This record gives sequence, C-alpha cells and structure tokens, in this order.
Amino acid sequence: MTATPQSSALSRSGSSRIVYLVFWLLGTVLLAIVVLPLLRLALQPSLAGLAAAIDDAEVRQALWLSVAGAFFAALFAALFGIPLAYVLARSKFRGRGLIGAIVDLPLSVPHTVAGIALLMVFGRRGIIGEPADALLGLRFWATLAGIVVAMVFVSAPYTVNSARIGFQSVDPRLEMVARTLGLGPWQVLWRVTLPLAWHGIATGLTLTFARAISEFSAVVILVYYPMTAPVKIYELFLRFGLDEASAAAVLLLALSLGLFVLFRHFAYGTTIAGAGR
Amino acid sequence: MSGAGLAAQDLTLQLGAFALRGVSIAVEPGAALVLLGPNGAGKSVCLEAIAGFHRMASGRIHIAGRDVTALPPEQRRVGFVVQNFGLFPHLSVAENVELGGRARGNHIDVGSTLERFGIAHLAAARPTYLSPGEKQRAALARALASRPDLFLFDEPFAALDAATTLALRDDLARFLREAGLPAVFVTHDYAEARALADQVAIIEAGAIRQHGRAAEVFDHPASLTIARFLGIENLLEGRIAAVDRERIRIDVGGGVIEAARPDTAVAPGQSVTLCLRAENVHLHPPQSSRWRAIAAARVVAIRPSGPLWTVTLDSGFPLIAYALPQTAQACALAPGGFVDAEIAPTAVHVLASPRGAGLASDT
Repeated sequence: MTATPQSSALSRSGSSRIVYLVFWLLGTVLLAIVVLPLLRLALQPSLAGLAAAIDDAEVRQALWLSVAGAFFAALFAALFGIPLAYVLARSKFRGRGLIGAIVDLPLSVPHTVAGIALLMVFGRRGIIGEPADALLGLRFWATLAGIVVAMVFVSAPYTVNSARIGFQSVDPRLEMVARTLGLGPWQVLWRVTLPLAWHGIATGLTLTFARAISEFSAVVILVYYPMTAPVKIYELFLRFGLDEASAAAVLLLALSLGLFVLFRHFAYGTTIAGAGR
Repeated sequence: MSGAGLAAQDLTLQLGAFALRGVSIAVEPGAALVLLGPNGAGKSVCLEAIAGFHRMASGRIHIAGRDVTALPPEQRRVGFVVQNFGLFPHLSVAENVELGGRARGNHIDVGSTLERFGIAHLAAARPTYLSPGEKQRAALARALASRPDLFLFDEPFAALDAATTLALRDDLARFLREAGLPAVFVTHDYAEARALADQVAIIEAGAIRQHGRAAEVFDHPASLTIARFLGIENLLEGRIAAVDRERIRIDVGGGVIEAARPDTAVAPGQSVTLCLRAENVHLHPPQSSRWRAIAAARVVAIRPSGPLWTVTLDSGFPLIAYALPQTAQACALAPGGFVDAEIAPTAVHVLASPRGAGLASDT
C-alpha cells in the first residue's frame, strides 16, 4: 500500500495507526516472555517460605556476597574501563578496531567457557593465580577476589562500550574552549568531559553491576565456595527443589531490581515508570 | 615583531595529509583580522595552532608581546569562541562565566559581568534554553572573564539563519570595538568577512595568498583564484590596447573597457584579466548617459536576488550588473531590450593573465 501525496491526512494517520497496533502486538509477545516467568516466580513462595529464606544465614551471606562482588566489579570496571573507553573514543591509532573487538569478546564467549579459561589463569595452578598466592598471598579461589574477577570478565564490556559512546558524544571543541579558559588537561577531564559523558558512563556502570550480580556460570567454575546468590539458588534447587529455591530466588530478584532502579535514579534521574529529565 | 597584538610568523605544521605552510599574520590591538578561505583551506587549523592545540614544525607566535610558542593553550590567554558558541551545557550561564574567571585565578564579579552583557536574568539558566544572541553574549562574557589578550572566533555563526547572523554580527562588532583587543575571525562567508574585517587574510590550501586592509583585498584581489573566491561577478579576459598617463584601454573581444592605470608596469599587447564587481556596473536608460558608457548593451536575462535584480547583459562581451527595482523600472529593463552600462575606470581592477608578466601575478 503506497500513500500518494494526494491521499488525505486522515487515511495516512489511519494506516500508521495500524502499523503501531501491529508493532505493539509483536512487542507485547517479547514483554510477556520477560514478565510472565518473573511474575510467576514472585507468586511461587509462601510468606513463611520467604521468611525462612531471610532467616537463613547462608542465603543472607550469598546475597551479600553477590552485592559486594558486583559492587567491586563495577568499581574495577570504572577504574580501568573508563580510561580505556576514553582512549578508544578520542584517539585514532592502528589496531583500535581490534581492541574494540577484544572488549566485546566476553559478550560472545559462553560463560562456562569463560569460567574454565579464568580457572586456568586465576586458579590454584593458574599463570597468575599461583604466583599471586606465592608472592602476595592473594588467592582467587574460595575468595571474594575470585568472584570479582569472574564478574569483571563478563560484565566490564558494558562499561567500556557505554562510556565510549558517552565520550564520543562530547564535542572536542568544548574541551578546547575549556583549555583556552585556563584549565589544564586533567581539570578539563574532571570539569567538562566526565560530567558531559556521565550519562553514558552511568548507564555502563549500572549494566555492569546488573550483569555482575546475576552471573552464575563463570563464577561457579572459578569460585564454588563461598557461594554467591545465583550459586546458592542453584544448590537449593538441586538439594530441596523448587519451593526452597524460589524463595531465595525472589529475594535475589527483589534485591537486584531494587538496586537497579536505585542506580538508574541516582545516575541520571530515570525512574522505572518512565524516562526522567 | 612582537607588539601588543598578535604576531604569528611562519607557522608550519603537518596534520595527516593537510599542511599549514609558512602562515604569517599580524593583528593590532582593537583590530579584527578575518581569515577567509574555502572549506578545507586550513582556517580552523590555523586558529587552533594560534590557540596552542597543534605541535608546530616551525614558526613563532607572540601575543601581547609574550612569546607563547612553547606554552600550552591554558597559558596563552586567548578567548576562543566556536560554532554555536561552545557553552558548557552542564553548567548554568553564571557557572560558565565563573569557570572562565576562576580557572586563571582571576577574581571576577560574575553578577556585574552578566549585567554588563545584559544577561543577568539568565544567570541560573542552562545554555540549551538560550537564544543564539544570548548564547553569544554568555560566551563573550565567559571569554572576557578569563582576561584574554586575544580573541579567536571560529565560524560562530555557521549554524545560524541569515537574519540572526546579521543581528549577532553587529553585536559582536560593537563588542570587539569596546574590548580593544585584537581578534582573529575565521569564516568562509564573504559577506561576513566584509562586515567584520579591518584586515583580511585569504587562506587557501594551508597558505596565505593575500593579506592586507579589508578594502584593499576585496577590491584588488592578488590573483584570479582569489577574485573567484571573493565572488567578483565579472572576470573578463582581454589585451591592453593603449596606455596613457592615467588610464589604460583594454580590448575585451567585443568591446573596449577603460581602467585606471595600475602602479605596476603595463604595456600594449599584454594579456590581462579585468575584475569588476556587479555593483560597479551602473545602468542608465539607452542614450541618456553622459559618461563613458558601453552603449546599447542587450539585456539577456533578469532575475531577482534579494532586494536587487541581477541583470545579465551582452555588450559584445558578457557583463553582470545589479539594479534596484526602481532602476529597472526607469530603464524599462526587459529581456531582449537595450540599456546603457556605465563602468567607472577606477572600479576596474587589472590582473595579469597567468602567462603575462608584470602586474599582480596569479600565484
């Protein structure tokens, strides 16, 4: 169906309404696939079951470990990923595409594979794990450090990519103007570039945190004990079945969702109900 | 040379495939130099080099008597105004101005600075919500707060409509007169250059082709390339037919045009190109002219361009003239009709043709 220039505004708006309707129907299928399982899960455990899960010190410990691990993973991504994002956004050099591809690599590597690879490097006999233990007493097995390493591997690309887009959106001429006003390069970065790229950086850190807190495969292979929440839930499921696991699962869901909303709100004033600003 | 203004000598640098080749410009305090050139000529690179953003292969830059060649941008004391004025969108107007003052440790009274620029009521506003005129004032206030010794403008009006540009240009010219600082203004727009320039430097392919007082450059382009770039409507090739004490007569094929005798050596037989602006071709009703008119030019076409009519004539050679609507009426201009075209000899600029000798050569 082609709209000729002579066709009335009414018929054109009528046909575009049909397009919208079809698209909404298609989109709803996707939304249902996301919402339905989570909603069903939330209704599964009884209040008593939830209370028992909260009362369980091991569950609480696992939840805490997930939050702490994700926090440090995001911190690590900020400290080492934001500078990389800036370099990728602002300088032209041979091999920039290759580095960009390396950053994206964890997104396409199955996380069990990532876990095995990490084990070979950070494990008891790993090429970093062994000397780090011998020289510094730093162990990546059975520790929070190991959990953080696994989380960083799978979640850091979000920070680098998002911050890179953030930096690319800052007009380099604004940085030039700031220099002529008397600011040194570090001051320009701090007072002009970072604030203007903040939206991208915050989005990246939020996604990194969210991805890290939910990571299972890579973590479970490198660090089985102490258990993060996803590992604990899996263990509960294997040992006691759906009811026991679902209570802990709902707690993790509520916690991640709450933190996610909180971060988005603090980062750039967006609520779950709609876009802010 | 290191006076109170700007003196850039022999600036040479390589930037990828582009090179700035031995650029020298000078601007006195209170004067505005317009760096005029086509897109990709190196205008912005030249400005950025003066501001300190490019490593130069050679050359020296003095600003207000200081040799700033080796200094980073933050120590050069230049006010830099870019396209769309470059206000920081995450800061309010007052914070923008304050940043300009504080970065160099200057104590400035932001309130009275904003007052002076007539934007005190916008102190808390974010730049996004400002009109172009307000943005310009905020940018100028901020630049001035950093106490610069030199102003650099990189096509600040490039994204604006014609009417806004006109108003802002007047505002800017007034500001520059009052500030008494040297200014370099980059543009590719001839009209903008004409309105703002005391001095003009024509830049092309990374090199200065002509540098001088604005009227001198606009009326006496040094080469055919520059004449074309400046949009001189009539460029006529001819041969010098006769030379006397004050005038020369040039045979342009279908007719003869008189020009004031140039300072350079001229001889009969020499090939030249005549540069004549359309506004210097005056139209009169047929046979009425007592002046040295080229009688009976045939009107080929008439088309409106803004408030004027552009009239294409055939006088044995092609000629373009502008006419006010009332002139067009008085002359009864119509395609196929005839009109007298008058050319003042002093309005004709004579250029040696590329292979010719003497006169201003096409380099």
